[in-house]
Amino acid sequence: MSTTVAEKARAAAGGDPSRSRRRAYGTFRPSRTGRVLRAALLLLAAIVTLFPFYVMVVLSLKPIGPVTFPGSLAPTGLTTEAFDQILGARDVLRWALNTLVYAVVSVVGVLFLASLAGYAFAKKRFPGKEVMFWSFVAMLMVPYQVTLIPTFVIVSQAGGVDTYWGLILPTLANAQAVFLIRQFVRSLPDSLFEAATIDGCSEWRIYRSIVLPLIKPILATLGVFVFLWHWNDFLWPLVVGQSQEMRTLTTGLASLNAEQVPLSVVLAGSVVAFVPIFMAYLVGQRYFTEGVTMTGQKG
Amino acid sequence: MTVSGTASASRTAPRPASRRATRRREASIGLLFVLPVLLFFVAFRFGPAIAGALLGFTDYQPGADTSWTGLDNFRRMTEDPLFWRALRTTLLYSVLAVPLSILAALAMALLVRRAFRGVKLFRSIFFLPVVTSLVLAGILFTWIFSAGGPWSSVMGAIGLPGQAWLSDTTLVIPALVVVAVWTRFGYGMLILLARLQDIPRELEEAALTDGANAWQRFRHIVLPELRPALFFLAVIETTVSFQVFDTVYVMTGGGPANASYMVVFQIYDQAFRYFDFGYASAIGVALFVMTMVVAVIQRLTVGRDR
Repeated sequence: MSTTVAEKARAAAGGDPSRSRRRAYGTFRPSRTGRVLRAALLLLAAIVTLFPFYVMVVLSLKPIGPVTFPGSLAPTGLTTEAFDQILGARDVLRWALNTLVYAVVSVVGVLFLASLAGYAFAKKRFPGKEVMFWSFVAMLMVPYQVTLIPTFVIVSQAGGVDTYWGLILPTLANAQAVFLIRQFVRSLPDSLFEAATIDGCSEWRIYRSIVLPLIKPILATLGVFVFLWHWNDFLWPLVVGQSQEMRTLTTGLASLNAEQVPLSVVLAGSVVAFVPIFMAYLVGQRYFTEGVTMTGQKG
Repeated sequence: MTVSGTASASRTAPRPASRRATRRREASIGLLFVLPVLLFFVAFRFGPAIAGALLGFTDYQPGADTSWTGLDNFRRMTEDPLFWRALRTTLLYSVLAVPLSILAALAMALLVRRAFRGVKLFRSIFFLPVVTSLVLAGILFTWIFSAGGPWSSVMGAIGLPGQAWLSDTTLVIPALVVVAVWTRFGYGMLILLARLQDIPRELEEAALTDGANAWQRFRHIVLPELRPALFFLAVIETTVSFQVFDTVYVMTGGGPANASYMVVFQIYDQAFRYFDFGYASAIGVALFVMTMVVAVIQRLTVGRDR
């Protein structure tokens, strides 16, 4: 396990240790053929992965009309015709607004409710705490589709079909958010909260000025993740937003796609739906990936 | 909020009576903070979960009288060729999609595991499909798979079935699996990558100096370390595959000739096209049981040591 032996082995493998030593994971240097092979595989995989995005962008910029392969994929004769048409139709802007409202209000609601509850579950003793908490978590095991129909019945009985509140309220019961925030708050020292109590802080103030600022990292990560989830959500908006005006971008695009609207126009709409997410991804990539690994590790 | 003064006093002078008061106060604050989320859970998760199970035993249809029908819906399910077909198709889809997306995730995680120039760019590229909506993926792949589209042309060129995959009853499921792998492998890659980076590098260095080749190092060091993550992925991917809906809705509508008619699509179809909420709920219960059974089996086999 000595480093000298490892370095010899590395040198024998044809590696250049000078650059790799800076990084924890640069210890092994694959042989030259290994590296060429890896580069080739990565490039191939990247091209395959990116191809649909290329299709989306190029075809959305093509004149409205029949699309052929491979002719239409050449980046020539581009026009914003399809965008003019899709943005001229007021529905798409309305769908974008709906999606934004759905995603943003849900994020704020989920984070607020889950941070209150997560803090209480982590630091307060009260009767029924464990039962409540673990029954929240157990609900993660129940497929969404089992609760879909009764939730729809409840919402429609209450007159929530085609309303923002009907769309949003059911999503505020987010077990994963409660779970992750509770795990995070548990790692904060008790002494902090005790000191604040002794100083005469009200519980609300402790929550506002101590808990919230300290859990900002988890709120950011979770927020981005919940936003993405709602932005792309399909089944619930499909069921609740039945009128043309209450569609979200996903359900609206699906309806355009089903209505035999020219492909360029549907794809221009897709670009409109994708660009905000793509921008957010470029800026907050760390949060997206943290969101995945965090929810993946289950605390 | 108003009692905070007395509470802080009780902390400095912990007499039994006031300690009890503090406890009570802590409990009421705790309950108060949990209450909002609890109400939402009762209204939109617990309530519907119980109602969902109960609806399965009724003939509930919106706007009609409802009566208790016992096991009728479940009996109907066993005699419904479409349900069996949906079940078989869902299982076939999952049996293909789960291992393939995990394998792709594993391969990509190993390829981008160690730092090299541009590694972050590659990781970002491979994760991009995960942030893309399934509806969007569905729209794009509908064209990619269309007759004369890129997929058909490439497949035709290398001697594989080259016609429009989505309108072929045997190829429609493989086509949906391709979409599933494209949209999912980045997620798995990230989960595995997080685990890979926790493996102590001394372990592999030692094996390397002992002359272990790449396969042996992978087989005896990396793979055992990845087991919990692979188990987690298997459960998640199976759940996701059992619940596939968006791409089916957008790309095939269950067709051609019901060849891609899957369980969640049937739930949606029964509920929101035929308004047979009772029967749809019964299928939902079946889906839940299916998911649980698979999770338990996976736990007993792959996930023993966690």
